[in-house]
Amino acid sequence: MKILDIALKDMTRSFRSAFALIFMFVIPLLVPVLFYFMFGNIANDEQAFQLPVTKVIIVNLDQGSPTFRQTMANIPGGTQANSLGEIVVNVLQSPDFANLLEVMPEADPAAARAAVDNQQAGVAIIIPADFSSRFSTLGGQAIIEFYQDPTLTIGPGVVKSILNQFMDRISGAKISVNVAMAQTNTTDPALIGQIVGQYMAAQPQGDPTTTLLNVQSPAQTKPVRNPVLAIVGLVMGAMLIFYAYYTGVATAQGILQEDEQHTLPRLFTTPTPPSSILTGKFLGVLLTVTAQVIILLIAARIIFQVNWGSWQAITLMSACIILNAAAFGIFINSLLKSSKQGGAVFGGVLTITTWVGAMPIFIGFAGYSNPTVNAISLTMPQGWIVRMLMEGVNSAPLSQITLSGLVSLTWTAVFFIIGVWRFERRYA
Amino acid sequence: MNTKAIEVQNFHKHFGEIRAVDGVSFSVERGEIFSLLGPNGAGKTTTISMLSCLLSPDDGDASVLGHSVRKDPMDVKSVLGIVPQEIALYEDLSARENLTFWGKMYDLRGAALKARVDEVLEVIGLADRAKERVKKYSGGMKRRVNIGVALLNRPQIMYLDEPTVGIDPQSRRNILDSVLALKREGTTVLYTTHYMEEAQELSDHIAIMDHGKLIAFGTHGELVKIVGETDRITLTINTESSRVTEAWKKTPGVQQVDAENGTLTLLVDDSNQVLPRLFDAAAASGVRITSVDIQEPDLEVVFLHLTGRALRD
Repeated sequence: MKILDIALKDMTRSFRSAFALIFMFVIPLLVPVLFYFMFGNIANDEQAFQLPVTKVIIVNLDQGSPTFRQTMANIPGGTQANSLGEIVVNVLQSPDFANLLEVMPEADPAAARAAVDNQQAGVAIIIPADFSSRFSTLGGQAIIEFYQDPTLTIGPGVVKSILNQFMDRISGAKISVNVAMAQTNTTDPALIGQIVGQYMAAQPQGDPTTTLLNVQSPAQTKPVRNPVLAIVGLVMGAMLIFYAYYTGVATAQGILQEDEQHTLPRLFTTPTPPSSILTGKFLGVLLTVTAQVIILLIAARIIFQVNWGSWQAITLMSACIILNAAAFGIFINSLLKSSKQGGAVFGGVLTITTWVGAMPIFIGFAGYSNPTVNAISLTMPQGWIVRMLMEGVNSAPLSQITLSGLVSLTWTAVFFIIGVWRFERRYA
Repeated sequence: MNTKAIEVQNFHKHFGEIRAVDGVSFSVERGEIFSLLGPNGAGKTTTISMLSCLLSPDDGDASVLGHSVRKDPMDVKSVLGIVPQEIALYEDLSARENLTFWGKMYDLRGAALKARVDEVLEVIGLADRAKERVKKYSGGMKRRVNIGVALLNRPQIMYLDEPTVGIDPQSRRNILDSVLALKREGTTVLYTTHYMEEAQELSDHIAIMDHGKLIAFGTHGELVKIVGETDRITLTINTESSRVTEAWKKTPGVQQVDAENGTLTLLVDDSNQVLPRLFDAAAASGVRITSVDIQEPDLEVVFLHLTGRALRD
């Protein structure tokens, strides 16, 4: 009974400290909120997947050519255009791409390039004056200048893809014409028009100006998870782990502080066995961390809709965090002579062990998974908790999570045995 | 029935090379106030820590109401109320919460605990501020709660370790009155102090400690007799003390001369006879005496006589 009295007294004291509450609850919840806003475009689960709109400046200097115009006129049902450049412009301005491209005509190539340099546009497309003429010439090579903002990847990639597909079809038609002309030894524009028409009709999507890029959301058999929330979930997991260990260490520091504030010696003068006093102190650490972890898990679920995995996985992970953080706190404090050493030691030890342990989370943000990094993280007790967290979130088999949990519990046992032995040697 | 509340036999305790307590033996009668008097570092707190079972003696033993501090520490602790030298309270808990928690540590529970906490709050005069957190209290109020904790289990023996250090005169007076009240209620009190006046006012018996040893023991009257008819004369002079110290040491009737910060303390056989000789010697050395204070023998004189140092050194 006295053990519980001591533990509850310690817990009460922890929860009365504004400083402790900030570090136990406010900061761990605040950091994911900052990440949430930092990643911008705070989409919610109802919004569909969308690519960003890319600003494209197009300079069409193409003056066309008689051959081209004649050929186009002879394509049955074909698009009427004075130049190939005009067709390119029409393709990019197609309503099909309205959600992807914002096309702005421009007359001056230098102004177009300057707009890209100033990041007013993502891409500048400059079609030379002889574009149609070169295309229409047997063996001629038609080239479009593609000028892009080097800091962008997705938008310019989309534009390039559209142009490549378009040019591939046009080139395919030209090759067909060249082959036919070589075989029939004729340059009859009517025949060329017919060949181009037949070639285009044989293409799966018909006319080259029709849909070139079919952007669709992934098949949605279940609601799409907002990627920002997925990141926030991992950040929340990292915060939960870091601050659970912080609380374990800070609460266990209460043993040293009670010694320095003379309440621990006074406790030893009461008819309470020293082993009960120390057990009560250890239980206080455990209960405080337990309360913190449970509250944070629930808050994260409610505020950020974090999916921690199955209830078995989350139960196992929570138990391992609580036990390991408490034992780690007792162990670290047992190595100190006084609480004055605590600030530097806690700051250094907690920062290093947690950051190394949580490296898989941080490189995960960048979309990487590195076996070496994962292995290094497992040299820290927090590494195994992080592993359990990621296994839980990724719905790994329970047997796999249990295995990580067993390793974590081994760490816990080692910390607890050493910590208790050192404290008992000092006080009991 | 054994009339001894506490019997200490040959206590020894050392910390590394330092002999904190070196062969101390004494006994305390039931219902009396017994003071351990000595300067800081004399070994008083170490002795009381061993009697509280907080420290284990390297050698020797003590019996507290028949229980050995070595063999029956839990029995010893259950009959004691201990007021440590420092404020040993949880400042983020209220006075009531502190008393309730400490009461539980003394195995009080339920209605009995609540009733006892209420009683103690009345005794220490904090019933109306019981819900305030201790950190908001003045130093004197904290001292009262500190004593209140020791009263919770209605102890047969109370240890008070320098309870008046660093507090205002009014709070000090309250504490001394509380100690006398405890005696009236039949509680045995073991009181440590380096204030000679407190030991003199409160104690039935006094043990003087210095450098870990018990150098004198007895009632106030018995201790004063150690120094015989010796008087203490305190003088201040208008110049360096070294100019007259040697002359005074050679003056007939002077036993001892100590100089500190321009003040000279002399132990003399009879101040009426010696004082004129001191003025003569001073005049011969070209020194003018600016003030004179003559004291009858007291514990300060006893300590000075036994150790050659003032109690407050």
